[in-house]
Amino acid sequence: MKREQWERLKTLFNGALDQPPDTRHEWLMEQARGDEMLAREAAALLRAHETAGGFLEDPVTMLPSDLTEIDEPLSGTRLGAYDIEYEIGRGGMGIVYCARDVRLGRRVALKALPAVHDADAALRERLRREARAAATISHPAVATVYALEEIEGRLFIASEFIEGHPLRSEIERGPIEPARAHSIAADIARALIAAHDAGVVHRDLKPENVVITTAGAVKVVDFGIAHAESINTRLTRPGDAVGTPAYMAPEQLIAGATDARVDVYALGVVLTEMLTGRHPLAPGRRATPVSASEIAWRCMQTDPNDRYQSARDALAALERELQTRRPVPLDIAGPPPSRWWWEFHQAVVALVYAVMVWPTWIARGVIGGQEGNAVFVAVLAAAVVAVTLRLHLWFTSRFYPAELAWARGRAMGWVLASDALFATALVVGGVLVDDTQPGLAVLEIAVGIAAASAFALVEPATTRAAFRAADRR
Amino acid sequence: MGSDPESLMPLVYDELRRIAAGYIRRERPGQTLQATALVNEAFVRLAAEKARPFANRTHFLAIAALSMRQILVQRARARKAAKRGGAPQRVTLDERLLSAEGPTVDILALDEALTRLAALDEEQARIVELRYFGGLTVEETAEAVGSSPATVKRQWAMARAWLKRAIDATSEDGLDAAP
Repeated sequence: MKREQWERLKTLFNGALDQPPDTRHEWLMEQARGDEMLAREAAALLRAHETAGGFLEDPVTMLPSDLTEIDEPLSGTRLGAYDIEYEIGRGGMGIVYCARDVRLGRRVALKALPAVHDADAALRERLRREARAAATISHPAVATVYALEEIEGRLFIASEFIEGHPLRSEIERGPIEPARAHSIAADIARALIAAHDAGVVHRDLKPENVVITTAGAVKVVDFGIAHAESINTRLTRPGDAVGTPAYMAPEQLIAGATDARVDVYALGVVLTEMLTGRHPLAPGRRATPVSASEIAWRCMQTDPNDRYQSARDALAALERELQTRRPVPLDIAGPPPSRWWWEFHQAVVALVYAVMVWPTWIARGVIGGQEGNAVFVAVLAAAVVAVTLRLHLWFTSRFYPAELAWARGRAMGWVLASDALFATALVVGGVLVDDTQPGLAVLEIAVGIAAASAFALVEPATTRAAFRAADRR
Repeated sequence: MGSDPESLMPLVYDELRRIAAGYIRRERPGQTLQATALVNEAFVRLAAEKARPFANRTHFLAIAALSMRQILVQRARARKAAKRGGAPQRVTLDERLLSAEGPTVDILALDEALTRLAALDEEQARIVELRYFGGLTVEETAEAVGSSPATVKRQWAMARAWLKRAIDATSEDGLDAAP
């Protein structure tokens, strides 16, 4: 039905209600003359109105259990020392309830682990051990595990009840402001440090397992236990994926490796998701994880040896980031304008180096012999390396700004070395050319000195303009 | 945290369920809860808390109505799925008592019809949600939708007739025969 038809229907219906009951239908036919369909529609509505009786007049009534039970019968019951209040959530792994521990009068999150058969005594023992290890972690950013309970043959883990919302729901609303994203990541790293120090690796870190409390604090939930569950899943439902593949480090996915660095990897994924609002491997993105920040990029290295080697190292980087600047997600914001001069510098230097190969070729003939060859080869080699690297940096800066800092870190040593070689070789060549070709000698020496001073004076200036904060490190 | 309905819903949702759990523990068999009473109790309890993220009572009631609709629809769906799946149904004494209590509304059919009504007339659908699922009075509803009580009454009458017709048509021939 179109909007204007609906509006007409509304007018007709309301108008009819204003008439005395016994003349309503006649009034309606009169008014809607010429529009058969509308007349019939209005008449049908009027009849429905007259026969509706008490339909919807009283607000909905329900049984208490309608609110507490979804399809699991535990809500509203007493289980051991726990009054189960309601279901908080469920995953493939188990159901979590909000419950009250009647002994201590405190509210807890009670997680029902999947039913384990008596035959799985070893698994049961393993679960116990994992829960005990998780219970030793004590940190404000970690949801405290209180107890492993065995009630009526089923295993439950009681842990701190946290009121808040999962990080996932914030990410769903779009990218998180970088300073806040890095601060949340730092809190997660702190939680990981506490856990790793206690010998517990999370193994299933993801935005669903990070809760922002109503007070605004960050809490990481499900330490260690997630892994216990995945063992269980593997045993009970063979063929099912273990854990959450999108957050698992390559070596974890492939070889089932579980050292602390898998958590560092997941931290990088979560940080990227916070900064961009999207998973780094989401459809439409390039296959290799493109980082929104250098830190996330380091965390997500395929080879665990290329990552931060511990959560502590990652935290140090995050803290530096938070101290030195309000990071801008380059992925989104594009290159800041101040990098223009730096890019210009790179392009001009590359051009000059390439052009200078030609006069040096002439100089080689003038100098002659071994010396001429040596000068030319040195200039050529230096120019090739310097031009290649500078163009690489220029290209990265223009098209993959997120990777620029990392690329610079790798290339700058070689750039400096080739600059030094280039300048030295040119000056030496100019001196050797001497009086037979004064113009050439002057050109070689002048460009050599220019190159040296450019890399000593101009380059630091343009670099400072482009990477102010980054270079203070 | 903002004060948009989405971020506040879990809070209301949990409070409603907590109250219901309390009723269950006190074991009053056959007791049914009415939306009006439940929602008001939830408001009183949440209002007593220190941090009150609600602009005002009407704001709270509107969120509560939305939560209630979601909870009940979810519950009805789960029940229907259990029946279809042939899982043993837990028919409690309460449920048998309730079904003998005269005309009841098929929540799933109502929810579906309400969604269709919202496409035609968002305000009418909202008024139904507030009045039926939230138990709001005409005056409270008028405040929540920013309208006059007289207008709410008219909109309510038409929405009720439209829904009645839509649900009857669906249940009679089981097809999409609504207007």
